Amino acid sequence: MSDAIRIRGLEKRYGDVLALGGLDLSVSRGEVHGFLGPNGAGKTTTLRILLGLLKADAGTIELLGGDPWTDAVELHRRLAYVPGDVELWPKLTGGEAIDILGRLRGNIDKAKRDELCDRFDFDPTKKGRTYSKGNRQKVALIAALAADVDLLLLDEPTAGLDPLMESVFQECIREATAAGRTVLLSSHILAQVEVLADRISIIRSGRIVETGTLEDMRHLTRTTFTVDTDRPGDVLAGLPGVHDLRPVGEQFRFEVDGAQVGAAVTGLAELGVRSLVAQPPTLEQLLLRHYGDEAPVREES
Amino acid sequence: MTIPQNTASARFNGTLRLVRFNLRRDRIKFPAWVLGISFMVVYFTSALPVLFGGEEELAESAGGFLTGPVVALFGGPGYGFDELTYPRFFVGIYGLYILVMAATMNILMISRHTRAEEQTGRAELVRANVVGRMAQLSSALLVTVAANVAVSTLIGLVLISKGYQAADSLLFGAGVGAVGFAFAGVAAVTVQLTEFSRSASGLAGVVLGSAYAIRTAGDAIGEHGSTLSWFSPLAWSQQTRTFVDGRWWPLLLSLAFASVTIGVGYALAARRDFGAGLLPARSGSPVAASWLGSPLALAFRLQRGTILGWGLFLVAWGYGNGAIVEPVADGLQGMSPEVLAIFGGDAGSIIDGYLARMGFYNAAVISVFIVLGGHFIRSEEYGGRTEPILATATSRSAWLGSNLLVVAIGSAVLLAVTGLAMGLGSAVAMGESDLVWSVTASHLAFIPGLFVILGIAGVLYGMVPGAVGVTWVVVAYVFVMGFFAPLWDLPQWVLNLSPLEHVPGIPLEDLVLTPLVLLTLTSVVLAMGALVSFRQRDLVAN
Repeated sequence: MSDAIRIRGLEKRYGDVLALGGLDLSVSRGEVHGFLGPNGAGKTTTLRILLGLLKADAGTIELLGGDPWTDAVELHRRLAYVPGDVELWPKLTGGEAIDILGRLRGNIDKAKRDELCDRFDFDPTKKGRTYSKGNRQKVALIAALAADVDLLLLDEPTAGLDPLMESVFQECIREATAAGRTVLLSSHILAQVEVLADRISIIRSGRIVETGTLEDMRHLTRTTFTVDTDRPGDVLAGLPGVHDLRPVGEQFRFEVDGAQVGAAVTGLAELGVRSLVAQPPTLEQLLLRHYGDEAPVREES
Repeated sequence: MTIPQNTASARFNGTLRLVRFNLRRDRIKFPAWVLGISFMVVYFTSALPVLFGGEEELAESAGGFLTGPVVALFGGPGYGFDELTYPRFFVGIYGLYILVMAATMNILMISRHTRAEEQTGRAELVRANVVGRMAQLSSALLVTVAANVAVSTLIGLVLISKGYQAADSLLFGAGVGAVGFAFAGVAAVTVQLTEFSRSASGLAGVVLGSAYAIRTAGDAIGEHGSTLSWFSPLAWSQQTRTFVDGRWWPLLLSLAFASVTIGVGYALAARRDFGAGLLPARSGSPVAASWLGSPLALAFRLQRGTILGWGLFLVAWGYGNGAIVEPVADGLQGMSPEVLAIFGGDAGSIIDGYLARMGFYNAAVISVFIVLGGHFIRSEEYGGRTEPILATATSRSAWLGSNLLVVAIGSAVLLAVTGLAMGLGSAVAMGESDLVWSVTASHLAFIPGLFVILGIAGVLYGMVPGAVGVTWVVVAYVFVMGFFAPLWDLPQWVLNLSPLEHVPGIPLEDLVLTPLVLLTLTSVVLAMGALVSFRQRDLVAN
C-alpha cells in the first residue's frame, strides 16, 4: 500500500526567509506519525502546503495519491484538519461552527458529533467570541474527529487543553487509528507525541533531521537520573552509557543513553537507592546535543 | 505592616497615571477626533457663503423650503429661521451633525478605555497593579472631559474667527461639549451592562438614535420644539437658541444628566465582577440551521446583520428624502446656476433632476457598503477563519465567489429598497403614483455600476488582500465627480473613469441600455479576474 503522505525536497520561501529547505517526509497509511520540532521549524508551513493553502516553491508532494494544490477539494473530502490557532466567527455558536465545518466537508457523523461534545465537556450553545483558546480548539477537534475521513492533520491540537481533556484526546486518536485512519500529529513536546506516535519525524530549520520509531531513536535520547544512595555514587561514572555525573547537594545527577538505562538501574541497585527521580528526555535536549544550538529559521505564523 | 483600609481614595488610586496612559494610546485618535469635528465646523461655515452667495439669497431660497417637518428631520427646532442668517442656518441645520459626532466620539472613547480593555484582558494586567477599582472608568471619563473641553473651545474660536457673535459662538461650542459629556455618561452605564465593547457602544448608539428620533418627533409637532423634544439630550443643546436669543441654562440639564448617568455607571461598576457584564451573555443554538451548509449560506449568514442594518437606515433615509421632494425642489429653483447644474441645470424639470441626483447619491453611499464588504472578506482571511473553511471540500472559487455574490446581491437589494422607499415618499408627497416605479428604476440602473466597483475590490483582494483598501480611492473619485463635475466643466474622459457616471439619470434622462450592458460585462470580467488571481496565491496566515 502506498504512503498517505510522501514529500520529497519540499522548499518554501517567504520573501528572503527560507521556511522549508528540502524537506522529506513519509507517512504510512494507518500510522500515527509524530511531527516534532521546535516552534518556527516549519511544521505549520508544511501542513498548510499539504492543505493547498500555500503553494510549494519546489519539490514533489503526494497526499492520499493526489496533488494537494490542484486536487485540493477532492482530497479535503478525505481528510480533516485542526489548526494550531482556531479562530471562530464571533456571532455563531460553537455548535453552529462544528456543523458548518462538517457539512462543508460533507461527511459528518451526527451521533459522533454529539458524543464528542459530551466527552470533551463542550458547551455548543455559546457564541464564538466567548470561548477560551482551549474551547475554540475543541470546536475544530470535534468537527475533525466526527468526520469519516482517511487522514487527520493535527497542528498542535492540544496546546490549550487541560490534562483531563488531553487524555480524552489520546483516547480519540486511538479510536481513530483503530478505525484505520492515518494521523499526522505536530507538536513541539516530545512526551506528548511519544504516547501516541508509531513513528516520529523531527523537523529543524525547515528540514527533517531524524525519522523513525521511538525505539530507533533511543540512541539519541538520554534519561536524566537524580539519585540519593547509601553508598557513594562516584562508581556510577564507570558504567556504560553514563554521562556527566555530578553531585547535587547530597545527591548525584547523571544522564544515561536511552539504550543503557537497564544497565544503569542494575548498577544503582547495588548502591542502595534511597530515592530516585528519572526525567524523560526532552526535544530541546535532544536537538541541542545532536544538532547544535544555531537559531532556527523563523516561520511566519 | 498594616494594609490600608479600602477608603474612597484607594478605589481611585492610579487614575491620573491612567489618564496619561490613555492619552498616550490616543495620541492619534484624540487629536483626530477633536480636529476632525472642528474641521467640519470650518467646512460648513465656509461652504455657506459659497453655496448661497449672500444672506439675503439664503433667506430667500432656503427659507422657503426649510419649514416645519423638513427642519425637524434634518436640523432641529429651527430658531430664527424666519430671519435666516449664516450663523442661524449653520446652528439650525449643520449643528445637529456636529452634536451627533461629539456624542459618537464620547461613546467610542469610553468604550475603548473601559470595556474593550476588560474584554481583551489588558485591563487585568493594569488592575493587578496598585490601581483602584474605579480608576479605569474615572480615567476614561477624564479623557472625555478633556476632549469635550477641547472641542468646545476650538469650535467657539472657529465661529468667532468667522465673525459670528462671540458669546453665542462659545455657547454653541459649549452645547457640543455638553452633548458629548451626556453621552459619555450613557456609555459609562452601557459598558457595565455587556461583556463586549461593541455591544456596549451599540447600546449607547441605540440611545443616541432614540434621542435623535425623539427630538425629530418633538420638533415636528410644535414650532421650536415641544415638550417631547425636551426628553432628548440632543435637544438641550439645541434649545439654547444660539444666535437668536442665547440662553445657557438648558446646558445645566445636560450636566445633570451626565452626573446622574455617571453616578449610575459607578454604582453598577461597584456591583459587578471584573470582566463580567450585568446582562447575561446570550446563548444560541447548539446546532446549525439546516440551510446553513454551503459556502454561500455561510457568507449570507455572516453578512446578514450588516445588510439588514444598512437596509433599515436606507429605507428611512430614502423615504425622508422622497417625502421632502416638493419643498426641496421649490428651494432649489431659486438657487444659483452652479447649484442647479448639479440637479440637471433646468429649473423646469427640477423635481426629476432632484430625484435622479438622489439616485446617484444613494448609489454612491451604497458603494461604501461594497468596500466594507471587501474589508469583511479580507478580515475573514486575516482573522484565520478562512483557513478551516478551505481545509474542507470548499474550493477557493466557491468561497470567494460566495462572499462576492452576497455583497453583490446585498448591494442590489439595498438599491432596490432605497429606491422603493424614496419612490413611495415622493409619490405620497406629490400624489403621483408613477414616481414609485420611476424612482425605483432610477436606483436599479446603478446595479451594474456598483458591480464594477465590487469587481475592482475583488481583483485587488484576489491579488493582494491588503490592497482591498485601495477601492476607497474609487469611491472617493465617484463622490468627487458626482458632487463637483457639473461645476468644474471637466473633459468627458475624466468623468468616464467613474463607473457611476455612465449610468443614465432616470427620471431626468431616458434609460439607455448600452452603457449598462458594458458595465455588466466589465464587472463579470473583473469577478473572473478576482477568482483566478485568488486561486494563484498563498493564503495569508493569521
